Amino acid sequence: MNGEGSRRFGEERALGLLRDAGKHLGAMREGLVERALTRGTDRLFTCDSPLGEVYVGVSERGVRLLGRAASPEEFARRYRERFGRLLSWGTDESTRALARRVATALAGEKVEVPADLSGTTPFQRRVLEVVKGIPRGEVRSYAWVAREAGSPKASRAVGTVMASNPVPLVIPCHRVIKNDGTTGNYAFGAEEKVGLLEGEGVPVSELAGSPYLATPTTGIFCHATCPNARRIKPENRRRFRSAQAAIEAGYRPCRVCRPAVAG
Amino acid sequence: MGMENELEAAEYMKSEDLLTRRLADGDPGAPREMVERYHAELYRYAWALLRDGSAAEDAVQEVFERTFTALGRYSKERIEALSLRPWLYRITLNVARNAWRKSRREVPVAETPEPDTRFGGASGSTSGTESRESWMDALEALGRLSERQRVVVTLRYIEDLSYADIAEQTGWPENTCKTLARRGIGRLGVLLSGRSDGEGGS
Repeated sequence: MNGEGSRRFGEERALGLLRDAGKHLGAMREGLVERALTRGTDRLFTCDSPLGEVYVGVSERGVRLLGRAASPEEFARRYRERFGRLLSWGTDESTRALARRVATALAGEKVEVPADLSGTTPFQRRVLEVVKGIPRGEVRSYAWVAREAGSPKASRAVGTVMASNPVPLVIPCHRVIKNDGTTGNYAFGAEEKVGLLEGEGVPVSELAGSPYLATPTTGIFCHATCPNARRIKPENRRRFRSAQAAIEAGYRPCRVCRPAVAG
Repeated sequence: MGMENELEAAEYMKSEDLLTRRLADGDPGAPREMVERYHAELYRYAWALLRDGSAAEDAVQEVFERTFTALGRYSKERIEALSLRPWLYRITLNVARNAWRKSRREVPVAETPEPDTRFGGASGSTSGTESRESWMDALEALGRLSERQRVVVTLRYIEDLSYADIAEQTGWPENTCKTLARRGIGRLGVLLSGRSDGEGGS
């Protein structure tokens, strides 16, 4: 073989081997990158919401942190400090599916979104689970949440849990209002809370000072946003400032929305 | 030439610093880039340690899992102070050691059969191991090219990009890229025939 021929032979062999390497590495990398990211990091996506664009950090169990941030970096740093996990963009299929589900839920449709509350105390978790069940368009008081969570005297502590809710909107802490029917505070601002509730069809100004409605036709009183209360004819509506006052007037609590009496 | 390599080395260090800073800052694109940047060389290293393709893949995967988990717990300052590559190599070695220990436990007495060499070894054999060794050789040889040649050859023949795309990615003129690729392949041919069983030697 002459010099030229052997040179060409070597080059062709090199090219063939490089292509083999490319094929093998390509196939391996596709699986490896996603697997490494899925197991080693939590995933991040952004989502439109009534609060504007929010960042959403998810673990394999569900949504772990949701909030606004100046940048993805800022959100990921906060996440790392809170949970000790890196965030990477959620490019895998299961994160994409969850992102679609979250977007649907935040747009107001009734779909279940899994939340990962593993970073919270048992009390916090009980409270957050109760709040998760408050339907769109309805509100409940701090005292009610405390009672439903099995700690009827803890309504102030419920307020603290709401203030540090890691997954607002997914767990609708904006639907928890003060015992007198006024909307109270919100981590994103009191005005945002009013806007969110009005957007969900809650008659915010009607509720202030009279969060309970009763009707003499059945002798039952409800939270004013309970579907049963909304069916009461306008001329039969009796408004109450507290559950206690409704009881004293001879009404019994609704079995659907279970108003909390004294607490 | 020597000067150019030094500059390239400095350039490389800078890009590694940049990646640690992005990881420290919380850039959600940084973890993926870390895997994409280091998985090939870590795979070669793991393969050299474990001599088995699927064990090497598992090892590399575990290396990234461990590094991500650790990075999640580190402070910003600690991440910034990391020398990423030596750290990754150290973790790869640890993972490989665990794999050795585990395989010893799993195969207590029955020895893995020695490769059969009675019929004169490799001649005409196209076993999976041999072809893997060959493309691994090619990757290894690729690592010995100058940085610019390596970048262009990798993008052209491993990533399968067009010269126009390569020029755009690197910022080098298209003709320069073609020249770098031609010279790189020439050099690879020499390197690879040097280590093949005498066939390409003159």
